[in-house]
Amino acid sequence: MEKLIEQLSICIESGKINRNSGYPPQLKGQDGADEIARQALESGIKPSGILEGCMAGMQRIGERFGRNEVFVPELLMAAKAMNTVMEHLKPYFQTGEVKRRGVFVVGTVAGDLHDIGKKLVAMVVEGNGWEVIDLGVDVSTEKFMETVGQKPGCAVGLSALLTTTMVNMEKTVKFIRDKYPQTKILVGGAPVTLNYANQIGADGYAPDPQGAVHLLDRLAS
Amino acid sequence: MAKSNVMTGRERIRAAMALKPVDRIPWLPFVGCHGGALIGKKAGDYLRSADRMAAGAAEAVRRYRPDGLPVAFDLQIEAEALGCSLVWSDENPPAVSSHPLASGRAFSDLRIPAKDEGRIPVVLEASRMMRKAHPDIALYGLITGPFTLAMHLYGTDLFMKMLEDEKSVHDLLAFTRDVGLRMADYYTDAGCDVIAVVDPLTSQIGPDAFQKFVRNPASALFSHIRSSGRQGSFFVCGHAQQNITEMCACKPDNISIDENIPLDYVRDICLENRISFGGNLQLTVVLLLGSPDDARRNAVECLETGGETGFILAPGCDLPYATPPSNIEAIAVMLQDPYQLEIAKALKTGPKTRDLLDMSDYGQTGKVIVDIITLDSEACAPCQYMVESVRQVAPEFEGIVEWREHKIKHADSVQFMTSLMVKNIPTICIDGRIAFVSQIPPRERLIAAIRRRIYEKLQYKIRTRRGEILILGKNDAECDRAMPVLAQALRELGVEMPVTAVTDPGQILSYGVAVTPAVVMVHYKVKAEGNVPAAAIIKEWIKEIQ
Repeated sequence: MEKLIEQLSICIESGKINRNSGYPPQLKGQDGADEIARQALESGIKPSGILEGCMAGMQRIGERFGRNEVFVPELLMAAKAMNTVMEHLKPYFQTGEVKRRGVFVVGTVAGDLHDIGKKLVAMVVEGNGWEVIDLGVDVSTEKFMETVGQKPGCAVGLSALLTTTMVNMEKTVKFIRDKYPQTKILVGGAPVTLNYANQIGADGYAPDPQGAVHLLDRLAS
Repeated sequence: MAKSNVMTGRERIRAAMALKPVDRIPWLPFVGCHGGALIGKKAGDYLRSADRMAAGAAEAVRRYRPDGLPVAFDLQIEAEALGCSLVWSDENPPAVSSHPLASGRAFSDLRIPAKDEGRIPVVLEASRMMRKAHPDIALYGLITGPFTLAMHLYGTDLFMKMLEDEKSVHDLLAFTRDVGLRMADYYTDAGCDVIAVVDPLTSQIGPDAFQKFVRNPASALFSHIRSSGRQGSFFVCGHAQQNITEMCACKPDNISIDENIPLDYVRDICLENRISFGGNLQLTVVLLLGSPDDARRNAVECLETGGETGFILAPGCDLPYATPPSNIEAIAVMLQDPYQLEIAKALKTGPKTRDLLDMSDYGQTGKVIVDIITLDSEACAPCQYMVESVRQVAPEFEGIVEWREHKIKHADSVQFMTSLMVKNIPTICIDGRIAFVSQIPPRERLIAAIRRRIYEKLQYKIRTRRGEILILGKNDAECDRAMPVLAQALRELGVEMPVTAVTDPGQILSYGVAVTPAVVMVHYKVKAEGNVPAAAIIKEWIKEIQ
């Protein structure tokens, strides 16, 4: 049993999605996260145990990202492998047998159409066990407010890639703060800095997807 | 360096890129859509009109006195010509909103854009107009880097494709390389001096992936640019520190970076590889949101780090549309006026320690001294208001508060300022201590701060003043008769103080006393301890007892 969990966490860390996946080359032809998750459930391992194994893999790849040993492509592959496992665990999330770490509502702020950075954050955060609601690009303050209203206790991630739309970020933070003061808000994007995040009253700034995961873990605890 | 301002901007940039001596550091403000702001046009109207871009460049030349300018700072030109949809906005370059290869278009359908497709003819016409109008300025033709263009075409799945299907990524990057080669030719023919390969998305990959996918296409571009007699610059932005060595291996003439990478790191690697480098003025915090002082200070930091060989001063990336022109002008003026640059450098680093005044005894006179450190209250609005705030409050403390303005245009003021550890202009110091930095204090706060200092001094005075009473008498008997009265006074005040009898006639006369008995009160006041302060300070004390 433990061996399966260990294998699973290695698959997650190395981004091995399924048997057919050619990446990483050293695991070519072997079972991937998809097959091992199925075997684990069939052999009676608790869904929560499977989730823990996956998280251990995600944590290791996250640490390697922090040490500049791997970069966005590898992080995304791990997240993709993780998401195949999540598909297997979906029924257990619905029954409440296993729980996600929380809900993360993410979007690029009004007037800003850049999707790449936000998408990367969404994928990696989801891969780290969060339920992610991706509102897309050019998201109005009202839309953010509406979603936060529907998902009490969620954390919010705002992305802005333009100096001009950073202003809208400030507005969205202020509105969420006023109505839902407990909501944790993190911000990111090329022109955004920690200073700016503090200035507009956000709870934190993340320079990269893994930074967002760390921040969410810290804010949620 | 050689005599200042003897080279043209074009010569200066060419020389710096070749690591040759320059008469001063070249200046390359990246005026992209910001040019629209300079002529009152929205970004969308600006980047679609050759006439407007030429007009914006003319305005930038007039106000910013650049050595080089980009023709257009827009990484969506090739993407648009290749079928990506764009969304336009008023204050930004357009954004790509669809990735054709991710939405069904076959890779084999892609064709290298001809020079009359999309906005390519517009930017080429703008290049020709700028070339004609500004023969002495280096024109930069910006092409979208092969990796970033591939991302425009394919979307974020490209990252995973790099691991799952290397060949298709190589094929795609060979195509985007060919687009770049053609664009470089177009810009070269239109009169550009430098072709900049702008590849910001490489910041998301590591050196291994860079080497595997980007090195060959980028090297081919720079080799081609060089063979056309032009110079090539490699622009990157974001956290791309891990790839600087790899970027050097592509053999560009220059690497330009933003504030996410330390300039000294890039300098060392580039110079080791005999490549020039540029950057990295802070775009948002300083140029967009800061003041002219912030801009100057940041520029001085960059200049000092960049050094004199192979460095080109530039913002980290495209100037934000709404950048206050005064911030860019501040840098332009400073760079081209050796005197201004000297002041800025003096302010940045300050005089050497040995030149600092010992200010530990400053502000020990009976008066409260308010010093206002300014650029010049006649020339700088915040300075003017700060001086004004003190001028209005001073009469409230007539005779107690003395104020002076120190204009840091004068060397002694710079020394004074640095000695007081003042780093920002304008600043108010009260008795040598920094009280208000940059912000003009409201009247009440300034009054309260001065009052606080007056109380402090009163307390200090009481603590440090020591006295003595002399009884002057013809003989001991005469002195003894006066003693009980003095003892009573001291006792009633609860003060301990020595009382000394003086009977020596010569000494009595030295006090100017002719008739005894007489009482002399002596005040001792410690003004300096453990050192002898500067003459300027002692002069203040002497004035006090005159």
